[in-house]
Parts: sequence; structure tokens; C-alpha cells
Amino acid sequence: MLEVRNLTKRLPDGRALLNGLSFTIGKGEFVALLGASGAGKSLTMRAIVGLTSVSDGEVVFTGETGKVYRTTSTGAKDLRRARRNIGFIFQGCNLVRRLSVLDNVMIGRLGRIHPLRSWLYGFTDHEAQEAMEALDRVGMADFAARITGSLSGGEMQRVAIARAIYQRPLFYLADEPIAALDPKNADVIMRLLQPLSRENPILGAFHQPELVTRCCTRIIALRKGQVVYDGPPCLSPKEIAGLYADTGGVTSEDDGANPVPRPMDYAVNWPGHTVKIAAECSGSAGKP
Amino acid sequence: MNWKEFSPGRYGRHLRFVTILTVLVVLAAWQCEVSPSDLMKGIGKGLNMVGFFFPPDWKAFPEMVRPALVTVLICLVATPIGAAFSVIFGLAGARNLSPPWLRLTARSLIAVERGLPEIVILLLLVAAFGLGPFAGVMALAIGSIGMLGKLVGDAIEEVDARVMDSVAAVGATRFQVIRHAVLPEVLPSLVANSIFRFEVNIRASVLLGAVGAGGIGYELNAAMNQLEYSRATVAALTTLALVFLSERASDFLRARMGLGDTPK
Repeated sequence: MLEVRNLTKRLPDGRALLNGLSFTIGKGEFVALLGASGAGKSLTMRAIVGLTSVSDGEVVFTGETGKVYRTTSTGAKDLRRARRNIGFIFQGCNLVRRLSVLDNVMIGRLGRIHPLRSWLYGFTDHEAQEAMEALDRVGMADFAARITGSLSGGEMQRVAIARAIYQRPLFYLADEPIAALDPKNADVIMRLLQPLSRENPILGAFHQPELVTRCCTRIIALRKGQVVYDGPPCLSPKEIAGLYADTGGVTSEDDGANPVPRPMDYAVNWPGHTVKIAAECSGSAGKP
Repeated sequence: MNWKEFSPGRYGRHLRFVTILTVLVVLAAWQCEVSPSDLMKGIGKGLNMVGFFFPPDWKAFPEMVRPALVTVLICLVATPIGAAFSVIFGLAGARNLSPPWLRLTARSLIAVERGLPEIVILLLLVAAFGLGPFAGVMALAIGSIGMLGKLVGDAIEEVDARVMDSVAAVGATRFQVIRHAVLPEVLPSLVANSIFRFEVNIRASVLLGAVGAGGIGYELNAAMNQLEYSRATVAALTTLALVFLSERASDFLRARMGLGDTPK
């Protein structure tokens, strides 16, 4: 469904922030993008949605009707058409704080309605009803009339998810959706994302290995803009620490005893593959 | 107490600054023919004149109502026009939305508008539109663009880029991003500042009226020119009431809308 091919982003001085990133994400997958700060997780997400330009490579995904969308090397109009099929869940601060919760959710449909109608705020009753249903799904229907700026971080994140659901995307991108949340709210958000991934795949950047191993179906680990691991999430804490090591795939405290677990030993052949991976692991990964 | 702490060397820098400032003020006062004896004479004359202004000629009050209303109407037309154009100038002058050439042009125009007092703008406009309220409306609208345009532009530059990115990420056009991410964030401060600007315009329109834009300022000036001082007192008191009421209304509206007491 989503195919990232040889994605490369270089600075003018030649330094590579993304260095030939390639992976494919298929139906039903909940993929966690792991890596230390500066590894290129957010940049990868922004490149996928076309918010940052890349030096080389391409991002391609296919719609239900077989239409192929690209967010790299494409015109502004085609980029907007592609973007409306991507549900991007940013960290909570992405919402327009002075608008109501419902208005923020309705923004998710801007790419699908005529610009003039959106300028006049001419959303139909049916569209408003669908937005309310999206809010209801994340348990925020009672907050629809509230000003978004008055919500807590966890509530804002749920509204951001409702916006993405309302957008009816082909897949979701979640850029550190639980980074600023307490453990309880982080768990709530992961429980919302997990069933969503069964309808449309999710690629999310996380810093919480224990939640990732419990909820996700696959891990892609990045280091210095390169994929160093792409495989099932059933990793031990030591192996996960290895993913965060600076070089060589060893943790500083383990002194060579903790190699990165067989990088690139996992490929996706969707659909249905994720079930098999979950079964090979502890049996809990990918299950609600 | 250690008197060495108070040595002139320790305070030399401050002493030099105060000495230079004092010399400059004395020189400027000499150039402006500031004279304490003239001040005393003027105060004496002024106190004698006070008698001419009182009691006010309250019979002239009904004649002041219409000019006062004209002053309010001038501001009611000028302020929204200025606010509307300030959004256009603000968008064009915002670093995060406009290309450098457009930003520079818009910011330069705003700077020129801010640099010219309303009375100078009016004198320039009178040549084109003639004397009367219309020239006053234009002068105040242009003056409002100067102030509000800068505030709107600065407010737009403070809008979180991530909020704009998140709206763009759903496939929205640039104008949709402005409509749904930028304007909602800056409109409350624009409304608050426009209400404050209305209050400023009321004061400015009195002055503009005196040079021919009509309204209560014109009545005040005419009464003074015709030496009808007690009538001028009524015009001045009406002006005072107008300014006071506009201030109170401005504070009330901004507080009611939860927009703060001071302009942002």
C-alpha cells in the first residue's frame, strides 16, 4: 500500500539526514518507527506527507480504485490530492486552539471540498454528523463545542486522531503522538490507534518501547537516516537498547553483548502477513 | 561609611551623561524661545481668559449633537475599512506567508502609513477629495491600516508553523490554510485592536475636524475663530464626553469579548 523507495535528504554541505530509506507498509499493519532523537523519524514522516522536500527517492501509495499517488516529485495539485489520503496525527499542538473541537475535526475534510465552500465554512449537516461520529469514536463527542485551547494534552491528541479518522485516509502517520502524555493517557491513545490500524495501516514514531512491543505489529528502527532494523516487535529490552545505540549496534553498558537484532530480516507481503508475525512473537503484539 | 565609594570617578559616567543631557535641553529650550517670564505672563493671561469660557452656553448643545454624531460615524466607517485592509497588508507583510519582495513592499507601505500623522494624510487627501467627512474617513482609514497592519502582520508571524503544517497536511490549499489556521488565530487580537483603534480615531477625528474634515472638531474650531468662547466650551465638553464614552465602550467591549484591556 505505502511504498517508500530510496528516500534521501541531504543538506547543502552533503550530510545525509535520510540515507536511502526504503520500506513497504501493508494492510493491517501498525508499524513503529524507533530511533534516537535526530535519527530521522519525524523527517521521514514529513517527507512522506510532502511537508519537506527530499533530494532523492520517492513515496508511492495506491488508492482503493487503483489510483497511484505520489508525494515526491509532483505538482502542488497532485500533492494536495495525495495528502488528503494521508491522516497525519501530529503531537497535540497541531490543532487550531481558538477554534472549537468540532471545527478542528472538520478541517480534516478541507482537501475534499471546494475551496470556496470551505472559505464560507459551508460544511453540510451530513459532514458535521460524520465529524461528530469521529469524535464519538475517540470519546470526545461531549467536547464538540468546547474551544480546543481549553483541552488537556491527552484530549487534544484524541481530537487530532478524530480529525485523521474523519479525513478517511488510506493510511495514518503518527508523529510521536504520545510523547508529551502521561502513561495513562499514552495508553488511551495507543488503545485508540490499535483498532484503527486494522482498517488502515499506521506508521508511528514512538519513544516508548514497552508500548510498542505490546501494541505494534512491526518495528522499523532508524539510525542516522538509515534503516537498521525492520522486523517483528518481539524484542527484548536489551535488543531495543541496541536499536538506540549510537554506532555498531551495541549498547554502551553492554559492551558488545547486545547486537542489533538481525536488521532488515523482515519483509511485508500484505495482506494478512501481520497476523503471522504476531503469532511468531509473544502472541500479544498487534492484539488489542 | 566609606566615603571612597562616593568618589567622582565611580559616578563619572553618570555625571557626564546628566551634564550632556542638561546642556542639550537648555540649548533646545533657547532655540524654542522658552522663557520663564513669558510662561508666567501666559499663565496670567490664561487665567483671565478662563472667565470668557464660563459659564458654558448650554443652548448651543443641541447644535453639537449632530457634529458629534458625524465624528462617531466617520470613525465607524473608517475603522472597519482600515481593519479590513490591514488584514490584506498583514498577510502580505508576514514573513511566514509571503515572498520577500511582497513582504518588503507591504511592510514599507505600512511603515509610510505609520510615519505620517493623520493630519498630514488629510492635508494630502484634501487636494484630491476636497474638505469634508469623506477626506476624514480616508485619512483615518489609512492611519488605521498603518497601525493595525503592523499588528496583524506581527500576529500572523507568531502563528505556530506546526498548526499551518497540520492544515496543509490534509490537502488544503494555501488560502484554506490562511482561512482555517491563520485567521482564527489572529482575528481576536484584530478585533481587540480595532476597537482600541476606534477609540484612537475618535480623538484623531476631533483634530481632523478642526482642519476641515467636519464633525465636532470643526464646531470647536469655528467657535474659537468666531470668539464665541462659551459656545467653544460646550463643544470641548461634548468632545470630552465623546472621548470618555468611546474609551468606556472600548474597554467594555474588549472585556465582554474576553480580549483583554490593552491592545496587543
